[in-house]
Amino acid sequence: MFRGIFYLLFFPGLAFQVVCGLAFEWMDRKLLARFQRRVGPPWYQPLADMIKLFSKEDLLPEGASGVVEMLLPLLSMSAVLTAGLYIPIAGFTSFSFEGDLIVIQFLMSVPTLAYYLAGMASVGIYSFLGGGRSILQYLSYEVPLLITISGPAVMAGSWSVAQISQSQVSMGPFIIFQPLGFILATVGLIGKLKRDPLDIPSASSEVVGGSLTEFSGAKLGFWYLVMNIQAVVGIFLLVNLYFGWSNVALPDVAIGVFILECLLMVAILSAVSAVFARLRIDQLAGLGWKILVPLSLVQLGFVILMGV
Amino acid sequence: MNKISIPIGPHHPLLKEPLSMIIDISGERVLGGALRLGYVHRGIEKMATQRTYVQDVHLIERICGICSHVHTTTFCLAVESLLGIEVPPRGQYIRALMCELERVHSHLLWLGILAKNVGLDTVFMHAWHDRELALDMMEGISGGRVSHAANQIGGVRFDLSTQQEEMISINLVKLKQQVSGVLDVIENEPALLARTQGVAPVSAEMIKDYCVVGPVARASGVDVDMRRDDPWPPYDQLDVNVIVLPEGDAWARTLIRVLETRESLRLCESIMQQMPDGPVAERAKRKVPEGEVITRSEAPRGEVFYYLRSDGSDKPARLKVRTPTLPVLSLLPVQLSAIHVADIPVVLAGIDLCVACADR
Repeated sequence: MFRGIFYLLFFPGLAFQVVCGLAFEWMDRKLLARFQRRVGPPWYQPLADMIKLFSKEDLLPEGASGVVEMLLPLLSMSAVLTAGLYIPIAGFTSFSFEGDLIVIQFLMSVPTLAYYLAGMASVGIYSFLGGGRSILQYLSYEVPLLITISGPAVMAGSWSVAQISQSQVSMGPFIIFQPLGFILATVGLIGKLKRDPLDIPSASSEVVGGSLTEFSGAKLGFWYLVMNIQAVVGIFLLVNLYFGWSNVALPDVAIGVFILECLLMVAILSAVSAVFARLRIDQLAGLGWKILVPLSLVQLGFVILMGV
Repeated sequence: MNKISIPIGPHHPLLKEPLSMIIDISGERVLGGALRLGYVHRGIEKMATQRTYVQDVHLIERICGICSHVHTTTFCLAVESLLGIEVPPRGQYIRALMCELERVHSHLLWLGILAKNVGLDTVFMHAWHDRELALDMMEGISGGRVSHAANQIGGVRFDLSTQQEEMISINLVKLKQQVSGVLDVIENEPALLARTQGVAPVSAEMIKDYCVVGPVARASGVDVDMRRDDPWPPYDQLDVNVIVLPEGDAWARTLIRVLETRESLRLCESIMQQMPDGPVAERAKRKVPEGEVITRSEAPRGEVFYYLRSDGSDKPARLKVRTPTLPVLSLLPVQLSAIHVADIPVVLAGIDLCVACADR
């Protein structure tokens, strides 16, 4: 029982995920700044931002429901934290069962749906537009992402992230066999995290703040925290699925290698957001259904054929 | 889907200056838009008639925060032609140098805004970083980054030292390299091309119907440039290449400004090479003889037009300023139809708004 509470609250639960989220955010901001010839923020900036947001006054526009606005970020937060529990961290597995990959995918979709609902529950027009866009974007990236990450599962013959990680010891890291899958999964992850260049639902020059335009204070802080933790879980997931070999094969340096792999993922995400302009929603739908879905099917077919 | 009206402005992350638009959309399609102006109207034309000519130079500098120098230059040219005085050659060249540097800084600023609007923050940061070089040059010459106070009636208020001339030559070389890097990105970045190519094209006929001038007109294949068509010295001695692109879409409007930046830098270099020696200003009388005059010059956004009437006193009887932004604004509702919501920032950036100029 105490072990369970420790897992939930400290490692690999709340505290660990929050710390990782803030650390990754800082890495991302710093790298992006260096790509853009800026100095970038000091290491404590994400924490300072969070403290400031949580201490700010909470404003509620007339006609909006305070309960719904509070519940949505909390619901998303609990969903992503739960998803994080099933992912092995440098070989350490807290909870695991056959099929947790699907549960993780499901839980990771909750923030997107909550984001959509937040837009619909707000009274503002920009929130409404942002919410509509987020569901359109969800339909574009989620299908190729799901097809793609079933590649490692099929290859390992298991739908458990820990098992997929484990089976790479004998088979070698899956990124060698599925480089295309890794690229597709990264694109899907960028869409999921609503990061530049797929930050269509929250594009400031078009819809101001997207669904979150009317959120303020602690509620907005919770939303940012949710996005940070979502990024952490997504990065951990991809690292396990495609580089999972190092978790088990190198027990002595597993933690160091795991951290390096995560930082590599952060660097890839930063570089992509520095290099590309934001796509239009119709262009994203075209990219998703005309390019990503066929490619992910090709990758999956390749994996199945290799297994036969 | 139902029709929704979204307000853009007077305060919106997209806008740098106050301007209000009500845009009707259906889903992600824009149906049309209506415009409201006048948030920064300061009555400068009326104020100018209550001040002396000398004071007016400083007032007119405040019309615009980006192209302040070209406004005072055009005003001074008008007063000088009524007075019948000729600015010494060195003064003319310094004026032209400031005009071209101003164009460089305005175009780079604009490029940053476009990049920001399409979500390409890296180009935004790099363009504004390069723009600092142009601002440094202007600050080194005049002491002011935005308001330079360079002009006086009869010439300019300062001379260039050898040190300043060296600083300008070094910075021009640097800036040229940076701009060619930016040009490379603009021509090749696939996501930027996808967002701008074929967006909101404007035909040359439409440009002429709406009297649009400047880079927007030139990007649609209309060959107008006051530096060549109605030059004041020293532009008549400089070889100005007018860049014209036929496409008329948002991408052409992007590309033309980068090409014009490069052209302006080349002009700056030839101005520095041809810079004559001698005085920089002529003494001007306080009272201006009776008469009326029209002067035109090419601001970064197109033709700036000044009409000045004098009644023989030391204050203008009437001053009329026509800036290039107003006709482009009238074209805006036309452009804001049958596009995507995501194209609104591209279209708005493409016309390079200067609301302060338009409202005065």
